[in-house]
Amino acid sequence: MHVDYWREVTGSNLGKTGLIIIGLITALAVSAPLLTPYDPHEKTNTGAFSAPSKDHWLGTNDVRQDIWTRLLYGARTSLAVGFGVAVLSTFLSVLIGGTSAMFGGVYDRFWMRVVDAIIAVPSVIVIILVATYLRPNAALIILLLSLLTWPGGARVIRAQTLSLKERMHVSAARTFGASWSHILLHHIIPDLGPILIAMMIQDARRAVFMEAGLSFLGISDPSMISWGKMMQFARAYIYLDVWMWWLLPAGIALSLTLVGLSLTGFSLETALDPRLREEKDRFGKR
Amino acid sequence: MHNAQTRCPGEPDMEWDKSKVSTKIAQALRHTTFFTNYAIALFIILTLNFVLPRLMPGDPLLAIYGEEALVVMTPQLEAELIQRFSLDQSMSEQFVAYLLALLHGDLGYSYYYNEQVLDVITAFLPWTLLLAGSALIISTLIGLALGIESGYRRGKTLDKTLLSGLMFLNGFPDFFVGILLLLVFGVALGLVPLSGGLTPYSNLTGLALAGDVLHHLVTPLTALVLVWITSTYLLTRNTMITTLKEGFILTAKAKGCGRWRIKYRHAGRNSLLPVVTSIGLHLPHVITGALFIEIVFAYPGAGSLLYNSLLTRDYPLIQGILLLVTVAVLAVNLLVDLLYHKLDPRVNRAR
Repeated sequence: MHVDYWREVTGSNLGKTGLIIIGLITALAVSAPLLTPYDPHEKTNTGAFSAPSKDHWLGTNDVRQDIWTRLLYGARTSLAVGFGVAVLSTFLSVLIGGTSAMFGGVYDRFWMRVVDAIIAVPSVIVIILVATYLRPNAALIILLLSLLTWPGGARVIRAQTLSLKERMHVSAARTFGASWSHILLHHIIPDLGPILIAMMIQDARRAVFMEAGLSFLGISDPSMISWGKMMQFARAYIYLDVWMWWLLPAGIALSLTLVGLSLTGFSLETALDPRLREEKDRFGKR
Repeated sequence: MHNAQTRCPGEPDMEWDKSKVSTKIAQALRHTTFFTNYAIALFIILTLNFVLPRLMPGDPLLAIYGEEALVVMTPQLEAELIQRFSLDQSMSEQFVAYLLALLHGDLGYSYYYNEQVLDVITAFLPWTLLLAGSALIISTLIGLALGIESGYRRGKTLDKTLLSGLMFLNGFPDFFVGILLLLVFGVALGLVPLSGGLTPYSNLTGLALAGDVLHHLVTPLTALVLVWITSTYLLTRNTMITTLKEGFILTAKAKGCGRWRIKYRHAGRNSLLPVVTSIGLHLPHVITGALFIEIVFAYPGAGSLLYNSLLTRDYPLIQGILLLVTVAVLAVNLLVDLLYHKLDPRVNRAR
């Protein structure tokens, strides 16, 4: 049965909401320089802790930076980390999971042992331990998170590839002398499409959360502009009114991004699970 | 007994014995690979713990003990520490010395708390278990109840409201939920204490003490429960939906079973197994899951201790906490895995 996943996701209210939220935040992040006259690192001429005004929509922080500007550029960090981890870790999952299923034997057993071992390691702890010493910037965070995230996906990809490679069209391709790389790239990965996207959304969600969490703990690169870091600094001045336009917007922006990713991921997963698809689809287009 | 006929009289039942032995061997192998995973995981953590401070530029003693410790360092103490960590020897010998110290339960000495690292941690850990344990139980019960209702009424208003509401809530990072609750109930309304797990120097006993602990517990607990409900809820809802499509539900309906009976006895009960499984799978994360919430509320658990040790750069303490938490997580994981194999024989066959 053919399922149009894009229509499944855009057809459900939750999926639509999720996509709109992600689209909106991406648009804001991309057009950040157009939406603010300030530089996120530069100090403005207004005093510290100023309330929202015409010049500074969300006021200024403790070192006289414009909060609205830092909020916009913070979206870039979050999205970059989310997107980076999604791509890198899915790439590793496909590479290891796919080739393990294709080759089998000792190679397969070796990688599955590595996968089991990494899954047994509590990732939050390892990230904190490493971050404490390295104070990672966005690129290093992407690398660290990807190295801990890929094994879960590799298991899924391996299982899927194992069943897909027994299909008729794959056997046909093999009869025509197709190499394993051709089979993987042209016959298996296209069939994995929706699963890969669901995986990427999940990875991105975790990555955005972990980056904010690490910054909130104060163990990421100090020069990085991040929502988590904004919340960490703003929390120190909780008795002043500044939390209303400093802490709250950062927290809401972060939450909205995560909600957007959750909703999209949830509706895609519902579409992927035939048992959960709504009854009406049975009589719809096939 | 298909080989009973082909077997000559008097010949021992070799066939059967062999297969029994081979399953035994296969089982033993499975158990060893199983334990190797955990051994490898533990080794990775130990190595990271050992290598990271020594990879830092500059004096490894500085990285192991932090800058503050060096201020009070006398040449005599320095020599003693170098000897203790075998820093004058090769890397492999240092690693062996490190492992030996760990085997003796020696996690190092915290300069900030002026106590053995192990003693500091054991004083903080019960608070984490109290907070995270009760949050896990409460969130599971609520999630289960809401999931059954929601799955039974799929597509109705109640289901739609619950689903979108909880999905929305699920997006909120726990530390932000914590801060919001703190701002509303602590700062604005003044109903709950802003931080800590106990009123300091109050010398309360008995019921008053329990009340005080509860009073401090309620906000961090609420924050955790709110964030944790969704996973149980979604799982229960999904199982309810698939179970309700089964034939035996139709039979029950045809027999004239009441709605309440079908909902709870027939469908609801079947949703229990996956939920119990997922609690088992999530149990290890309980220890790390409360980390951010503890920090927001300065709740005196392992998470806050870790945060403070990050702020004071108390490296022996950081490493000690991370190591102990990892070992706890791995131990719980191992137990759950073993228990699961015992409870559900299908898992063994599937491998």
